[in-house]
Amino acid sequence: MPRQVLEDTLTADSIAADAALAGSGDPSAFERLYRTHVARVHTLVRRMLDADEADDVTQDVFIRAWQKLSTFRGESAFGTWLHRLAVNVVLARRKSVGIERGRFIAGDEPLKDVSGRPHTPELSMDFEEALASLPQGARQVFVLHDVEGYRHDEIARMLGVVPGTSKSQLHHARMALRRHLER
Amino acid sequence: MNDLWTNRLSEYLDDELDSVERAALEAHLATCGQCYATLTELRQVVAHAKSLENSEPATDLWPGIAHEIRRERLPERRDRLVRRRFSLSVGQLLAASIALVLVSVFGAWAVLHSRAQSPGGQMVEAPSPAIPEIRPARWKVQSDMAIAELQDALTANEGKLDTATVRVVRENLVIIDRAIEQAQRALRKDPGNTYLNLHLANTMRQKIELLRRANALASQS
Repeated sequence: MPRQVLEDTLTADSIAADAALAGSGDPSAFERLYRTHVARVHTLVRRMLDADEADDVTQDVFIRAWQKLSTFRGESAFGTWLHRLAVNVVLARRKSVGIERGRFIAGDEPLKDVSGRPHTPELSMDFEEALASLPQGARQVFVLHDVEGYRHDEIARMLGVVPGTSKSQLHHARMALRRHLER
Repeated sequence: MNDLWTNRLSEYLDDELDSVERAALEAHLATCGQCYATLTELRQVVAHAKSLENSEPATDLWPGIAHEIRRERLPERRDRLVRRRFSLSVGQLLAASIALVLVSVFGAWAVLHSRAQSPGGQMVEAPSPAIPEIRPARWKVQSDMAIAELQDALTANEGKLDTATVRVVRENLVIIDRAIEQAQRALRKDPGNTYLNLHLANTMRQKIELLRRANALASQS
């Protein structure tokens, strides 16, 4: 077995081992899982919600993960399980702060604001900043589809919309973001 | 630029148009420079999204998380664990064994060390019943390969370490090997024992970690 393949296998097994240990109540193992996955979770949360919520929601994700670890059966990779949990927490947060479904669907006007700006050097904002400036519905679809790799049918189920809405939001988000690519 | 076609460009990019729509859009793209340019930009956006990198939070969030999880009531958690142990299937036990194998921290070694020794400081030898070997699982094969590779590397690099360090590493390896042997003997009697599976896997990963650290130390010398 090539060394790199062996190393990758060992890393995956190490995470699985820590997940099992954390599930049995070992906080040290859980901290190692936190250190391994916090960047991905925090980035996901920051992209899908407002930046000032990211720390609180990320903490919430890991606290819920600790509480639910006894239900983790190892049928998928721990990272996949945690990521799905993070998405669920984000979407629950979205509902709890009163973002209504109607506003999600009717997110075109703010999109036009973003895409309608002239492309001047000072507005050639960082792609992440442009992403953050999208209305939340379009932003979440874009992050879930283009960044995280979910399919439209999965996104539609998660967001409680039809796949056509997810496709439409994605297209509008891409159209807005194309003006803010770093050149 | 035709909005009818422009609004289908993302679906075209994502290969979600049927063959008729796709052919029609491609025919339009051949004649509409603006749609073609937009398609190119959309393609760049998709590529850019895939290349975005993750970043750590500005502050360490672990202290807050640790504070919260400490507030978890231990009896409740123990109850869950007991229920879980009794609900584990053979497949899940195997999965737990696989999961608990390799690498990572060194800290638990000290605990293992103290547990592996009797009050008099001698290793506790379990009887060696003549029980058939358990057929090696994938994780066991991988563990053995990793250990063999690391031991070969250590043998080659041992000369770079000072004598005292080599002696300590060897002594620790003997202790860990004995603990592994004890766990394996006990598992032959009770293959489905969750604690023993955890203990064996944890001990094996401690051995791998010790070997890795010794090799790393040698490579720095």
